[in-house]
Amino acid sequence: MLTDSEFETILNDTSKQVEGDIVWQEDEDHSPILEFRIEVASETGWPLFVRGSYNALIQTLSFGLILKTAGRIYGLDLGKDHHNPQCNQVGEKHKHRWTEQFRDKEAYIPEDIDAPASDPVTVWEQFCAEANLKHRGKMAPPPPVQGDLFL
Amino acid sequence: MNSANICQDFFGGLESLFTCEQTGEYQRIRTPYLYPDGDIIDVFCKVQNDVVIVSDLGETTRWLRMQTVSPRRTPKQKTLIQDTCQTHGVEFFKGIILARCRPENQLSAVVFRVAQAALRVSDLWFTFRTRSVESVSDEVADFLSERHFPFERGEKLAGRSGKVWTPDFHIRAVRRSSLVYVLSTGSKSAARAIVNQIHTAWYDLNHLAAGPEALQFISLFDDNLDVWSEEDFRLAEQLSTVIRWSKPDEFAETLMAA
Repeated sequence: MLTDSEFETILNDTSKQVEGDIVWQEDEDHSPILEFRIEVASETGWPLFVRGSYNALIQTLSFGLILKTAGRIYGLDLGKDHHNPQCNQVGEKHKHRWTEQFRDKEAYIPEDIDAPASDPVTVWEQFCAEANLKHRGKMAPPPPVQGDLFL
Repeated sequence: MNSANICQDFFGGLESLFTCEQTGEYQRIRTPYLYPDGDIIDVFCKVQNDVVIVSDLGETTRWLRMQTVSPRRTPKQKTLIQDTCQTHGVEFFKGIILARCRPENQLSAVVFRVAQAALRVSDLWFTFRTRSVESVSDEVADFLSERHFPFERGEKLAGRSGKVWTPDFHIRAVRRSSLVYVLSTGSKSAARAIVNQIHTAWYDLNHLAAGPEALQFISLFDDNLDVWSEEDFRLAEQLSTVIRWSKPDEFAETLMAA
């Protein structure tokens, strides 16, 4: 089990970086959802990667920092509400943050994310800034979804 | 509250558990159901001719994929999704859970079916290995069962030194049986120690790899995580056949080979 102090070490590690351009791609189901995955390198060597996913039909957007041995440890969700273990609703802009007690079930409102889900590139930049993650490359804007799903 | 009005209070409070609002081209119904991390399950409705399409618009599989290390769902996870869809009378189309509300159907019943299916599909989260419910050895056992290989798990075998070893699997195939150690760790620093231990085990058990009923030794590396070095593979290759778990068909072929 990842400890709180290990999580803080990972999050505060400013050597974390992702290299290369990010391109949104279809998922394995060829659903309307676009996604990407990119490895995170760091001096400390934690096995990390970032996943992103975007549903343009309903403007839901997520970025998650995933530790390969523990699962998601830090993640931003836009467009989807969240219910905390303490029974409070957090809202459609929320960020999951690992704790030993609740793993990734507890979320808070990240005040420094102010870009909307319809602007994934700006949200990504804000997510990277908060997660102490450097991106050496560019993120392409997601291509528009073609047509109606059910026609 | 008394027992006489329990039902009245229950039904009276149901409506407040749901919210409904327009989101893009869809009517979004926010349910009281939760994904395993506490995110809320939404269901989306769209009218087409005389039918209302009720779906999760792929949000459940999107949620699942955001939690996982694996690039694709396993065959077992796909089977569980099919089973869930059958139970709740919903369709799984391009990663979307959906059902049609026809004129003779009640919309609330269809919404509940889709929401409950989303809830159950999201519970696949509990099968992810990072949740410690299922190990890679369990996955291998499922695979062997699917391919109809008879096997025994955790058989204790004495080495030449007298030490007792416990390979993960003893698998019987038509032409030859195999002993398999599954090598899995999330830590690069632990990886070499694991390979060393398995190498020692194969060396100590090598009397079983001789004679007309010689056993084949297989080191099955869980390469889902990038923790193994080329040196690790080369070391394991000296005394065993190295297979990567990302290539299960190759594993099956090796088991069946003479």
